Amino acid sequence: MWLAEETPIRKQDLTLDKPWVNAAGVLGFAPDPNKMPFLDQMGAFITHPISRRPRQPAKDRCCLPYQGGFLLHTGLPNPGISRAIQRNRHRWAGASLPVIAHLLVETPETLAEMIQKLEGLENVVAVELGLPPDCTPEGLAAFVEAAVGELPTILSLNPDQIPVLLPALNALHPAAVHLTQPRGTLPGLDSALVTGRLYGPAVFPQVLHAARALVAGDLQVIADGGGHTPWQAEALLGVGVAAVGLAEALWGINTNQIT
Amino acid sequence: MPDLTAKLIEIYQLGDEIAGVLDLPQELWPAPGQYLPAQRLSAEREILPTHLFQVIGNNAGLSIAPLPADWMPSDTLGLLNPRGHGFSLPETARRVALLALGVSPARLLTLAAAALAQDAAVALFCDPMPQADLLSRVPTIIEASPLSTFQDDLDWPDFLAVDLPLEELPRLDDMLLGVPLGFEGQALIRAAMPCHGLGECGVCSVKTRHGWRLACLDGPVFPLSEALNVAR
Repeated sequence: MWLAEETPIRKQDLTLDKPWVNAAGVLGFAPDPNKMPFLDQMGAFITHPISRRPRQPAKDRCCLPYQGGFLLHTGLPNPGISRAIQRNRHRWAGASLPVIAHLLVETPETLAEMIQKLEGLENVVAVELGLPPDCTPEGLAAFVEAAVGELPTILSLNPDQIPVLLPALNALHPAAVHLTQPRGTLPGLDSALVTGRLYGPAVFPQVLHAARALVAGDLQVIADGGGHTPWQAEALLGVGVAAVGLAEALWGINTNQIT
Repeated sequence: MPDLTAKLIEIYQLGDEIAGVLDLPQELWPAPGQYLPAQRLSAEREILPTHLFQVIGNNAGLSIAPLPADWMPSDTLGLLNPRGHGFSLPETARRVALLALGVSPARLLTLAAAALAQDAAVALFCDPMPQADLLSRVPTIIEASPLSTFQDDLDWPDFLAVDLPLEELPRLDDMLLGVPLGFEGQALIRAAMPCHGLGECGVCSVKTRHGWRLACLDGPVFPLSEALNVAR
């Protein structure tokens, strides 16, 4: 369970029946039981990152394998909030598990506008804010304030952001913090350097370390990052995370291996 | 959960790729240009599936490539059903040109049998020219020529099939620039497809005349008319 039983449930809290979710960006915009036989084992579905306006793919988009994982740089293409809702609201409403909308945060004003569009949609139970990599504590506070509404707010950040943002997180105390893949840089085509998210087992120790720091700050934590085997999930749950986020492991064919 | 499992019964070198033969019933084979996501079931640390394409080979089973270097004969693979759109050779095609741009022609040559079966003439244009082990598998009736001769023969084909990496699309545009195309065509556009359509992650996005499309879902074979002169 997400919450201790003795804690009264507030409007801004979130409950998950099962301690598994997907990482934003790995399962598309809506659950599809035909393609995702593991949905019944998940506590919630997190959408592909959605921005206020449509976003095109990055010109230098690429998937760069390295020992222990791969770097993925896509530009997070998406149709924008209005079309995303138009195309998916019925699929969200009919889903067999709760849906969390992941929003790409730009400014507090546009964030408030996006959240307003999501409020009242059936089966959308929370918003997750994808914070800019250079987010400051002041910026974080402004985003959290802009996000106040009917839906609980989950803050999505990578391990590199924790030293800068941890005091602010403790003060703001969001419904949860979703620790996502760290970022990295590798030479891509023509040796040009490419920055993107790092996936694969190589990042797991970094994520476990960061998850422990967040839990110690008395925050509800969802942690992604390199989980491919039961012992990794057990280690994360063992340090006190409320849920484990699965990323590239869901793209594998033998998904039984995970659960 | 895999849709299928199959045993790898043979491994061989095919040009600069490692190819293999799978003991998969023929009704489950991917069409030329479709891909088959595969992962070795015994491996704990195979992070992403490998996408296998049908290649020219022997008749003992399904010949596929590219295989990772550490796969071995007798390995059991977990497979998903064939994904994406493959080539669709028009029944009326009688002069079929196959153009491998910066890649091995092994995938394109799987179209040759269907073309020859409908009495079409087939010509292969390649850059680089294939190695001897691959050429030895090409039916002798098919002439293999260097890419440099292709532009002199643009009035010959009534169907053109192209295989190229995504980043070579501008080069194909340049080759066909200003030429009134008197033929239909399709292009197998190769890009990394780590999510094989599950995540719509967008890394395999291809710009087409009708907007951005995903190679993993909408391709990887696209009509040439959709993909030409829009990549830049």
